[in-house]
Amino acid sequence: MTRHSLSLLLRNEPGALARIVVLFSSRGVDVESLSLAPAERGDLSRLDVIVDLQPGRTVVQLIKQLGRVVDVKNVVDRTHDEAIELGA
Amino acid sequence: MDTTGAGALIKALEDVGCEVIFGMPGGAILPAYDPLYDSKIRHVLVRHEQGAGHAAQGYAQATGRVGVCMATSGPGATNLVTPLADAYMDSVPIVAITGQVARSVIGTDAFQEADIRSITLPITKHSFQVHDPADIPRVIAEAFMLASSGRPGPVLVDLPKDVLATATTYTPPKLALPPRPVLSPVQIRNAAQLIGSSKRPVFYVGGGVIRSGAAQELRKLAERTGIPVVTTLMARGAFPDSHPLHLGMPGMHGTVPAVAALQRADLLIALGTRFDDRVTGLLPEFAPHAAVIHADIDPAEISKNRKADVGIVGDCRDVMAALSAVITRKTDLTEWWNYLGGLVTTYPLGYDWPADGMLAPQYVIERISKLAGPEAIYTAGVGQHQMWAAQYVRYERPGSFINSGGAGTMGFAVPAAMGAQTGAPDRTVWAIDGDGCFQMTNQELATCAAEGIPIKVAIINNGNLGMVRQWQTLFYEGRYSNTRLGTHQRHPDFVKLADALGCVGLRCEDQSEVDGTILEAMAVRDRPVVVDFVVGQDALVWPMVAAGTGNDEIMAARGIRPLFDEEE
Ligand SMILES: Cc1ncc(C[n+]2csc(CCOP(=O)(O)OP(=O)(O)O)c2C)c(N)n1
Ligand SMILES: [Mg+2]
Repeated sequence: MTRHSLSLLLRNEPGALARIVVLFSSRGVDVESLSLAPAERGDLSRLDVIVDLQPGRTVVQLIKQLGRVVDVKNVVDRTHDEAIELGA
Repeated sequence: MDTTGAGALIKALEDVGCEVIFGMPGGAILPAYDPLYDSKIRHVLVRHEQGAGHAAQGYAQATGRVGVCMATSGPGATNLVTPLADAYMDSVPIVAITGQVARSVIGTDAFQEADIRSITLPITKHSFQVHDPADIPRVIAEAFMLASSGRPGPVLVDLPKDVLATATTYTPPKLALPPRPVLSPVQIRNAAQLIGSSKRPVFYVGGGVIRSGAAQELRKLAERTGIPVVTTLMARGAFPDSHPLHLGMPGMHGTVPAVAALQRADLLIALGTRFDDRVTGLLPEFAPHAAVIHADIDPAEISKNRKADVGIVGDCRDVMAALSAVITRKTDLTEWWNYLGGLVTTYPLGYDWPADGMLAPQYVIERISKLAGPEAIYTAGVGQHQMWAAQYVRYERPGSFINSGGAGTMGFAVPAAMGAQTGAPDRTVWAIDGDGCFQMTNQELATCAAEGIPIKVAIINNGNLGMVRQWQTLFYEGRYSNTRLGTHQRHPDFVKLADALGCVGLRCEDQSEVDGTILEAMAVRDRPVVVDFVVGQDALVWPMVAAGTGNDEIMAARGIRPLFDEEE
């Protein structure tokens, strides 16, 4: 298992969050924590998640799969930032 | 224009170019059927919504356009689940329109309420539930655009009944296809360099080449480079079977030369394909010496199962055109072709006649291919007959073989043929079906008879769930648990069943009658025809790479492992 922290920008459309959560469960991704909040732009929400990946699955692959979701506008891997924050 | 949500729906479908809907009415979708009554859009009234979904898939694959199916809420919508999953796996552009209970009662377990959006989340590219009738034209345009652009796939539009009934004004939708991805010139150059320096390259071609309409470009690029081509189950027809550069289908039931080309290659040029387990076999043993160029419109496919040395995100047509432009000379592949040519000669596809004197199923399919020719469209169910249809029909053009590859959905052949025939009325359409599969969806023959859709069905009647039986033969010591169907004992009698469904029913049990029966079926043009080809039950699909083994263990026939023995 490898742990990753991702930050997504989602369109504020009904079902957007459900589609992300289903993607996690369909692809065998373990969700450790998840928080949704309005983004600066009113028509977008920001979703922060910490996920555990199965051995052999890469975060790059997961980011690309999230990128296929029509309501996802942007995905960034914050794993590194997190480590710095925790280390500080 | 003043109208209702329902009026806007039908008008929008007309405006985006929909010419046919496969569907069945019911309470929640009923408002939509009223304006449909006056529309120029043809509606084909199916006998089961699963048939509507597969028909939309068949239509889409025969025409290259978006297929449309429609169902009511609850059970109507859930009956579309299998075709949606199928279309998702095989990247088929369809739009499913479902009725929903009224907005005020959503979430109250109302009569025929099912949360179809949630149910289909993992098997749709996108979905909508419309709450304002004014949004309907835009949503329909977006649904068509999403279904057909990028990597195609199924899109669901869920419409609450009261939204359909509410008054609104119609604003024509704008259909703007998003631009195709811009290719990276660096990756194209890197790919061209790898191709130029490789000694044993192979084009590993998938269904994406058919979806992107890139068959011409593929032929040009293959002929320019002299590189061998293999076409996966989803890509049969993307490259002519008669072409000397073509080694056939790779994978679990692929040809020995096609599998060997992948296993011995030093370079795979993978185009619109996804390194599916049925092609790769045991992944760590797949193409062990090969560098990989992987071009796909979906970035998530690149390096998913096999790491790409050069990944190119783009439409296959653009990728091949760009490669053709930079590759100017042929490399010397004499040694490679000497090796492959030897395998082509030593291991052609072949079969034995059953010892009990019954018909060989492969022969029946071979003769249909010969007599119906490459201009016909062939659909298949799932099982042994499907693999034989992939092996023994000679495909020469894209879109001529329509089958359920990724999902492996039994019952696909008849409704898919119905959809294909609707989209291509001037072509002969043959459904190559199994006796098991046929019993899942044959009720759509009543639809075909009533609507004048003259498909031809060849039931490869081996009396069994043949593919499952094959595994029992090979891996379960011949313990045939629950695979005998009784169809050789006429449970049911397919000729009588065909007759009852309004079709011509024919039966053929002898080699001497095969050609005559096929020609008799082809002569019928006003009705569907069903031919019960009674064939031996013991035929096995060869070659075979057993599940969970590496491709080097491919068996040309039982106990014959050409690649494995080569290494010793
Ligand atoms: C809906 C569905 N149920 C079960 C299966 C498993 N399955 C795969 S092939 C097969 C047998 C198909 O029998 P038939 O249509 O007679 O084809 P044959 O293999 O005999 O040519 C079965 C049961 C499936 N693929 N799809
Ligand atoms: Mg059978």
